[in-house]
Amino acid sequence: MGVPAFFRWLSRKYPSIIVNCVEEKAKECNGVKAPIDTSKPNPNEVEFDNLYLDMNGIIHPSFQIRFRASKEGMEAAEEKQKIRREILAKGGILPPEEVKERFDSNCITPGTEFMDNLAKCLRYYIADRLNSDPGWKNLTVILSDASAPGEGEHKIMDYIRRQRAQPNHDPNTHHCLCGADADLIMLGLATHEPNFTIIREEFKPNKPKPCALCNQMGHEVKDCQGLPREKQGKHDQFADSLPIAEQEFIFIRLCVLREYLERELTMASLPFTFDFERSVDDWVFMCFFVGNDFLPHLPSLEIREGAIDRLVNIYKNVVHKTGGYLTESGFVNLQRVQMIMLAVGEVEDSIFKKRKDDDDNFKRRQKEKRKRMKRDQPSFIPGGQFSPQALGNRSSPQAISNPRQAAFEMRMHDRQNSTTSSSPNTSLTSDGSPSLAGGIKRKAEDSDSEPEPEDNIRLWETGWKQRYYKNKFDVDASDEKFRRKVVQSYGCASWNWYYPFHYAPFASDFEGIADMPSDFEKGSKPFKPLEQLMGVFPAASGNFLPPTWRKLMTDPESSIIDFYPEDFAIDLNGKKYAWQGVALLPFVDERRLRAALEEVYPDLTPEESRRNSLGGDVLFVGKHHPLCDFIVEQYKTKNTEPVDIPPELCHGIQGKLTLNENAKLSVGISRCSVTHLH
Amino acid sequence: MAAGKAMAAAEPLGRTAEEVAWAEALRGACEPEHHWRHRREFLLRNVGELPAAGSAQLQRLVSLSMVWANHVFLGCRYPPQVMEKALEMAEGIQVTGAPVRTTRDELVAKKG
Repeated sequence: MGVPAFFRWLSRKYPSIIVNCVEEKAKECNGVKAPIDTSKPNPNEVEFDNLYLDMNGIIHPSFQIRFRASKEGMEAAEEKQKIRREILAKGGILPPEEVKERFDSNCITPGTEFMDNLAKCLRYYIADRLNSDPGWKNLTVILSDASAPGEGEHKIMDYIRRQRAQPNHDPNTHHCLCGADADLIMLGLATHEPNFTIIREEFKPNKPKPCALCNQMGHEVKDCQGLPREKQGKHDQFADSLPIAEQEFIFIRLCVLREYLERELTMASLPFTFDFERSVDDWVFMCFFVGNDFLPHLPSLEIREGAIDRLVNIYKNVVHKTGGYLTESGFVNLQRVQMIMLAVGEVEDSIFKKRKDDDDNFKRRQKEKRKRMKRDQPSFIPGGQFSPQALGNRSSPQAISNPRQAAFEMRMHDRQNSTTSSSPNTSLTSDGSPSLAGGIKRKAEDSDSEPEPEDNIRLWETGWKQRYYKNKFDVDASDEKFRRKVVQSYGCASWNWYYPFHYAPFASDFEGIADMPSDFEKGSKPFKPLEQLMGVFPAASGNFLPPTWRKLMTDPESSIIDFYPEDFAIDLNGKKYAWQGVALLPFVDERRLRAALEEVYPDLTPEESRRNSLGGDVLFVGKHHPLCDFIVEQYKTKNTEPVDIPPELCHGIQGKLTLNENAKLSVGISRCSVTHLH
Repeated sequence: MAAGKAMAAAEPLGRTAEEVAWAEALRGACEPEHHWRHRREFLLRNVGELPAAGSAQLQRLVSLSMVWANHVFLGCRYPPQVMEKALEMAEGIQVTGAPVRTTRDELVAKKG
């Protein structure tokens, strides 16, 4: 989900959930940085028990700058190649080429050598900290790297849920989750843990912030053209020193959010007992309808149009009628969801019309503003006795006589002017003074405006449903069966699941979903890392894969060559830039992929096989940790069976340990791998 | 769905029931009707003897049919050899109402 939209809406509606972080910064003395003592109490006057780090939000941005420079390098290299070819064609002689390494940002995907090395570095870092930092003395560190399947945030949630389910769990555990994704807020709520806080970098709207996409200043994400950054310093050595204040962090307190939600969602005179936790589940579910990472969101539900508020209102009505909640322990009551969707469907028409109106108004105001900016004088200069007098005249301006009468007359005069303009809103500008541009019709050939990107659907005009389905799915809107299939695919789950269309259906199509089966498909398996790479990489990034696997992506005789087009269509969907559009890539048929890979599996080297295995989580403890002796004992007796962690030695964590073949029982550090922390 | 199938089965003239059944089994779960009809045509025209399930021959045929369908309906482009083969195999198939798409390369070229 887009962080800006959801988070902005949330923090505006419930402002008290945000608290600034007090951070003790490192002190410098004579050029030497004094280390911070992490074993001291937290300056924010709260002690956290568990910290969860989703590395996804940390790795990608760190490499942005590197990749930017690399892209420039690539373009320069292409240019060079072109020139070389030309010289060769003319019979000239060239010096030998220097081959430089290029960074392909696709390497940040599970299964690559890069990620493997990254995992090793992380393990080293943890070991080092456990050994040297006093604040880490009694910490238990669990590392779940890219070889363990699943998204980082889901793995974290899974862990929390499992711990909750077992008897030694401390219900007052203070959780702190680090990450910028708005989804985390919802996932945090879904755990129902009373003490849950999210920490993330503060987004300062008034201070210049680099564009989230390309990490450059001067423009916002929506205007990003994906251009390479200019070098700062001869060797780009000033790249990291951005001229803004050091990054501040904020806490998002979910306990406060829960209080807000309790007030908002409490419903009186229900035919059944009100259960707050369940209405929280329903709220989370509804937020997901407005957008998440796996599904394109419904066209009629935009956060900044108050989609969530709309849903909540409808929800409160529906709950009275249906007599129950939408969700139950992770399962969705489709019949009730259907009622909500149909209610939204009824107003879809007016949503689209209003959206268009607002859009038009906004564009018109922008135009007028630009026009105003062009003129050097203000658009309104008071006249009569209020007219401005130049300073420096010998005579001082006269006192205003009868100001109230004069002001009244001016207002009356204005009102007469404004009734002649085309609509009541246009005559006033933002500072309240009447605009001379009001009432002038927008010229078609206005040189100020840029050509509008083509919008083929025009949701606000009647017939939008037909156009949408024809244009996006290439079917007749009357093809009921097909529409049902789209809706069906929108909500079901298994490891094989993917939403097989590029676009979401409309809310008003959610009929008859109550009768659909919704079981997680048993026997489905997650993709192993290298298999996943085959499923997500283009042929151009094939160098991360073993040679015979790579061949499947490029060889014209390959049985899955259709998964890897050289070029594909982009549906701009009314947007301006290519990256904002929807990429019409073919979906990878899982069965065919597995069938094709069967033949090349034997070609994997032992190293590659290892990279391809589904790993578990790895547990690290320092030598002073209560669990340490227990673990060392396991290694001594060479126990191969998984053994339960004694919860009293490990802050109440419950799980099974098995020995890790890579374990290092060096001074003070021991390692073992953990399967299923439950 | 049964009614739909019966109607569709009547369409490909000159095919045996066996061939038609074989083809129907290859339809994608979420493939829209008229995409499928065209791809089925591609499959039936190029199949010759019905290949064994899971055979390399079958995989290749299915793959090429997808190359062609993705090209026509999604706007994908593939390496020249592959395109040539697929288009050759699709000769004579009439496609009406195929969508017009802009590819990523074309978009990028416009900006640059």
